[in-house]
Amino acid sequence: MHLPCGTYHDRYGQDHAWWQTRFVWVRMIALFLLLYVGLPATGNFYLISVANIIGYTILSAMGVQLLIGFAGQVTLGHAAFVAVGAYASAIAMLQFHLPYLVSIALAALVAGLWSVLFGLPSARVKGFYLIMTTMAAQFITVDFIITQYVSQIGGRGHYFSLPPGTIALGPWVIDNDIEVYYLMVTLVILCLIFMANLMRTRVGRAWIAIRDNDIAAEVMGVNVFRYKLLAFLVAGVLGGIAGAFWISTLAFVSPEHFQWGWSLWLVGVILIGGVGSNYGTVFGSMFMVLVLEALKFALIPLTPVFPHLLEKFLYVKEAAFGLAIVLFLIYEPNGLAYRWWQIKNYIHLWPFSY
Amino acid sequence: MELFTQLLITGITVGSIYSLVALGWTLIYKCSGVLNLAMGELTLIGAYVCLMFYQWGLPFPLAVFGTLLVGLALGLLTERLFLRPLIGEPVLTVIMVTVGLSFFFRGLVELVWGTDTMVFAPPIFPPEPIKLGTIVIGQAYVWSFVAALALLVIFVAFFRYTRWGLSMQATADDEMASLSLGVSADFVYALAWAIAFMSAGVGGTLLGNINGVNISVGYLGLLVLPAVVLGGLNSVPGAIAGGLIIGVLQNLAGGYLDGLTIAGLKIIPGGVKDIFPFAIMTVFLLFKPYGLFGWIRIERV
Repeated sequence: MHLPCGTYHDRYGQDHAWWQTRFVWVRMIALFLLLYVGLPATGNFYLISVANIIGYTILSAMGVQLLIGFAGQVTLGHAAFVAVGAYASAIAMLQFHLPYLVSIALAALVAGLWSVLFGLPSARVKGFYLIMTTMAAQFITVDFIITQYVSQIGGRGHYFSLPPGTIALGPWVIDNDIEVYYLMVTLVILCLIFMANLMRTRVGRAWIAIRDNDIAAEVMGVNVFRYKLLAFLVAGVLGGIAGAFWISTLAFVSPEHFQWGWSLWLVGVILIGGVGSNYGTVFGSMFMVLVLEALKFALIPLTPVFPHLLEKFLYVKEAAFGLAIVLFLIYEPNGLAYRWWQIKNYIHLWPFSY
Repeated sequence: MELFTQLLITGITVGSIYSLVALGWTLIYKCSGVLNLAMGELTLIGAYVCLMFYQWGLPFPLAVFGTLLVGLALGLLTERLFLRPLIGEPVLTVIMVTVGLSFFFRGLVELVWGTDTMVFAPPIFPPEPIKLGTIVIGQAYVWSFVAALALLVIFVAFFRYTRWGLSMQATADDEMASLSLGVSADFVYALAWAIAFMSAGVGGTLLGNINGVNISVGYLGLLVLPAVVLGGLNSVPGAIAGGLIIGVLQNLAGGYLDGLTIAGLKIIPGGVKDIFPFAIMTVFLLFKPYGLFGWIRIERV
């Protein structure tokens, strides 16, 4: 990252600061105002609900980004940990009548530990074999344990629906899209700050060393196994938070929300956004949700010609998403985050961009 | 004992179909190093294409032949459009392209054929089962086994005795040496994808004859992944053995473990059959990380 023309640092503190120039301060404050005041003030429920889907995707994809992008452990089963979080939170509220905030923490903990359990094979296997064990985690967790056992708790059948008023932070009852939106923005910002800071610590550097070359990292004295497990733990915790957030959007939860396709979807999101960057998670989620929404509107004029196109939109979406991943990997393998980085550098160096 | 034999025979017949699809998977991996996660969707496409031909009124053998031709064309096309630009890219990128392809293919299949279960009507194999003593086998199973076995023999003979097959073996063994001896690597990659599409297509058709054709055929096609991991990614005999093992164990688990009740308590309510291959594979990997016949990879920094 280049600094803008004419900006010089003379203390280390300036180099370590998150927001280094006045322009960035203004920009970030404007962003916060937009997120907390501007968007809800439009009162447009469609816009807010799309934003909520983006937020859920960001929260879910963050764990995938950590595992694949930062620690180099490819996972194709992250939806399992989101599911564990959602169910842990739902059961905590329904069976034990715990408050929502406590249930989020509990969901994060349970999902994290569950993730560590399935991270254990990473001690012995890596690469494609690890992909297979994470796939196994997905099928064993969602299609077997949750469908067959967890769903039976309390005799509610496969759907756990939460009565209105259950999801509340103290006196603040979260029961419409705008309130979910505030919760979402807060969670996303907190998780992003957590992730970004984690990557500046010893732990984050160890993960990056393992990603780049695990044997070399071990030779350098990184305890590879412990840090791999730690990566699985943190990814599971983030997944658990995403799951606990998810139940606030629909107020019910079913194993069908966490199929293998959602795991693959999350991987696709970070590939399009950019692997190994928190911007990538955000951009990828925004791209996927917004472009697919735009696709829906683009298809409406075609309905006189193909009357069933909108009913089949789900399939069009799947095919378009697949094609997007393939094309991005072939033509823009560094993802949207890289493009963003280039644009920023161009602006910083302007007018002397050579 | 009767139940055991019954399950064993069902397992072997289904396993032979898995072996066929697994063969296609291993071939791609051996020749071009691509770890293909879209195998389930290739199976799905094959099943639907064959069904379509059959519904147009073609006789079944001709429909299968048509499926093979479509598989060949799609395989060549997929390799040319999506995999060729990625030669030399990191392994993860290529795996993820196949993930993208799997979404793409599944979306297309659902768009064209919908998601309702369709069956081959009129049924191809007579519904009366064959009785061997006390054991009853559906004819669809018997003929699927015969067809899968025949195709396996044909494919293995192809690698052994034809020029193209030998050039594929050479590329799998040492790409640089085979290039310098005049083998076209591009052609070999394309051929590997074409064969994978064809074997998966026939596998899908056979599975579709047993269970009816819907999206879950793609899931059955996914079971080749545990099979190839069990066999050890780069071994053709391993893929065949892995397919059979997965087929047999899956059916035994479905027969004995589903609804298992101990002391009046339902220990396992159901659904074991679907996840058992993956559970086996995870445990197996912990003890033998390179499968039954796989090469142990030695890494250098």
